[in-house]
Amino acid sequence: MKLSSGMRLILMGLLLTGIVSCQKELHFDAVPEQDHNLVLHFKPVVQYDSVDLQFEQPYVNFFGQTFRVSTFKFYIHGIALINTDSNRVFRISADKHFLVDCKDSASSRVQISVLPFTYNRIAFIVGVDSARNVSGAQTDALDPANGMFWSWNSGYVMAKLEGTSPASTGPGNRFEYHIGGFSGPDNVIKEVTLLFPFGQAIDLKPGKTTELTIAADVYDWFYNPHDIRLDVVHFIHSPGPLARQVSENYSKMFTVVDIVNEP
Amino acid sequence: MTTRYTILIAAILFAGAFVINACKKTGDDPKSNPLQLERPSHFPEPHYAFGGNPITEEGFQLGRKLFYDGRLSKDGNFPCASCHMQFAAFATFDHPLSHGFNNSFTLRNAPGLFNLAWYPLLHWDGGINHIEVQPIAPIESPTEMAETLPGVIQKLQADAEYRRMFKAAFGDETINSQRMLLAITQFVGTMVSANSKYDKVIRGEATFTHEEQQGYEIFKAKCATCHTEPLFTDNSFRNTGLPVDPALKDYGRMRITGRSEDSLKFRVPSLRNVYATFPYGHDGRFVAIASVLEHYDHGVQDGPTVDPLVKNGIPLSAVEQFYLKEFLRTLTDSAFINNPRFAAPE
Repeated sequence: MKLSSGMRLILMGLLLTGIVSCQKELHFDAVPEQDHNLVLHFKPVVQYDSVDLQFEQPYVNFFGQTFRVSTFKFYIHGIALINTDSNRVFRISADKHFLVDCKDSASSRVQISVLPFTYNRIAFIVGVDSARNVSGAQTDALDPANGMFWSWNSGYVMAKLEGTSPASTGPGNRFEYHIGGFSGPDNVIKEVTLLFPFGQAIDLKPGKTTELTIAADVYDWFYNPHDIRLDVVHFIHSPGPLARQVSENYSKMFTVVDIVNEP
Repeated sequence: MTTRYTILIAAILFAGAFVINACKKTGDDPKSNPLQLERPSHFPEPHYAFGGNPITEEGFQLGRKLFYDGRLSKDGNFPCASCHMQFAAFATFDHPLSHGFNNSFTLRNAPGLFNLAWYPLLHWDGGINHIEVQPIAPIESPTEMAETLPGVIQKLQADAEYRRMFKAAFGDETINSQRMLLAITQFVGTMVSANSKYDKVIRGEATFTHEEQQGYEIFKAKCATCHTEPLFTDNSFRNTGLPVDPALKDYGRMRITGRSEDSLKFRVPSLRNVYATFPYGHDGRFVAIASVLEHYDHGVQDGPTVDPLVKNGIPLSAVEQFYLKEFLRTLTDSAFINNPRFAAPE
C-alpha cells in the first residue's frame, strides 16, 4: 500500500500527538537523582524519654497518679526537613496524612521519600489539616472507619490517649482523652520542630535509608503548661478549652532520640 | 482510491482514539450513566454541588439500596428508612422521637429529608459540617443504628451483590467507607422537593385560592424572616422559646459550639412538606401545626437566648391561623412523596 507524503505526515503527526499526550506524567529532571528513604519511627515512652512505654503496665505521672495506657494514637502531616544554615526546606505533600498508632509497629513507622541533602531539623504538624475536617468522606489514613472521627460533631480526633487509672472516678476507672478541634479558639493543630541529637546535621544520601527514632512521651499529656489531673479529668470527648490545653501539653512530647544513617 | 483513503483515515482515527484512551486515568467507567443535580429554577445555587462526587445512575441506585438496607444497623432492624419514611417526606410518621436499637428513643425528632444539598450544616444542632459524613452519625449512634463503620463495611464486603454494585458505581469492587458515603450522598442529596402547589404558583403554572393567598401574605409578614423562601429556612440556629425538656436535657447548638450564647438554639426547620412531617419541634413536642401556631401566639417562654423575633410572641388571630394553615398545605409536594425513584428498591 502506497501512502502519499501528505498522508504520511498526518499519520506521523497523530502518532506524535499520541506520544506527547502520554508523556504528561513523566518527569525529566536535569540531573536524575534517587530520593532518600526516611523512616520516622515513633516510639512511645514515659518518664521524660527514659523508659519505653509498655501498654497496660502501670506508670506514675507527675502528680503521683498511677495510670496504664491502652490506646495511644495521633495524626501527623506536613512533614518538612530543614537546613537552618542554608535556609533550605524540603516539604513532602502537606495533604499527605499519617495515622500513628503506637500499638501497631507498622503504622508507627512513617516512611517517606525526601530530597537528598544535609538537614539539621525536622518539622511536622500534629493533627489533621483544618480543611480536611470539612471536606466530607475521606479515605486511607483519614478514613472515618479508623475510629478517629467524631460522628455527631464533624471533625477528626487528632490525638487519642486511653487507659485506666485508680485516680479516675469514671466508669471502670477509665480515662479517655480524645483531642480535636480545628477552628478558632478550639484549634488544637500544632506544629512541632525538632533538633537532631547533639545539634548535629545529617547528610541524607541518594538511594540510602535513614531511620529517625522519635520518642513520644505520654507524661507530657498531663503536665506543663497545664495540669491535667486524672482525678479531675476522666473524659475529653469534644473540642474546647480542655482539649486545647492537652494539645499544648502534648505538642512538646516529641524528641529525636536516635538516628541511624546509612552511609 | 477514495475508499482506500476512507479506510485508512478510519483506521488512523481508531488508533488515535485507542492511544488517547490508553492515557486516560482510571476511575471513570465508560459504562456508568451520569446524572445531574437538578436545580429548580427558583432555587439558589446548591451548597453541595457534587464536585468531588459525580452522580451516576449506578451510584444513585447503590445509595438507594444502602438507604433501605437494615444491615447498616447492628441488629439489622434499623435501616436509614426506619426513621426516614418517604410517605412522611422522609421524617418519622407520627412519632415525636424515633425508635432506635435495643428499645431506645432517639434524642430528637427525625427531620424530613429533601433539598439537603442546599444546607451548609445538617442536624438540629448543625453538628454535621458536610453532607457526605452525615450517615456516620446515625450509623454509630447507640440510640439509632448502633453499628460501627468497620462493621458495616465488613457486611457489605461479604455480599456479592454489593461488590457488583460498587464496581458498577466506582469502577472496581473495592468497598470502603468513603465509597459507601458517596453513594448514600448521591441518593439522599438528589432528593429535591420543588413541585408543591407553592412552587407551581411561583413558576406561574398555578394560582393560589383566595385563602391560600391570604395565608401567603401573613406568612411573608410574620414567618418568612426565618423560614425564608424558597427553601423555607434561613439555615440559622434560634431559640424559639421552648423550655428544655428535663428528661432529654438537650441544649441544642451549645452541644456543638460549647458557647453559652448558643444554649437551646436549634436549626430553623424547612416548612416544605410540613403537613407530612408532624409532630414538630426538635423533640417533636408539638403534635399539630395548630399547636405550633399557638406556641408563637402565646406560648413563648422568655430566656436569655430566646430570639428577639419571637421574644414577645408572634400575635396570630384565629382567622390568621386559619389562612396560614391553608397556605402551609400548599407546601406539600405529592410528586416527591410518591416519586418511585426514591422508594424502596425491588
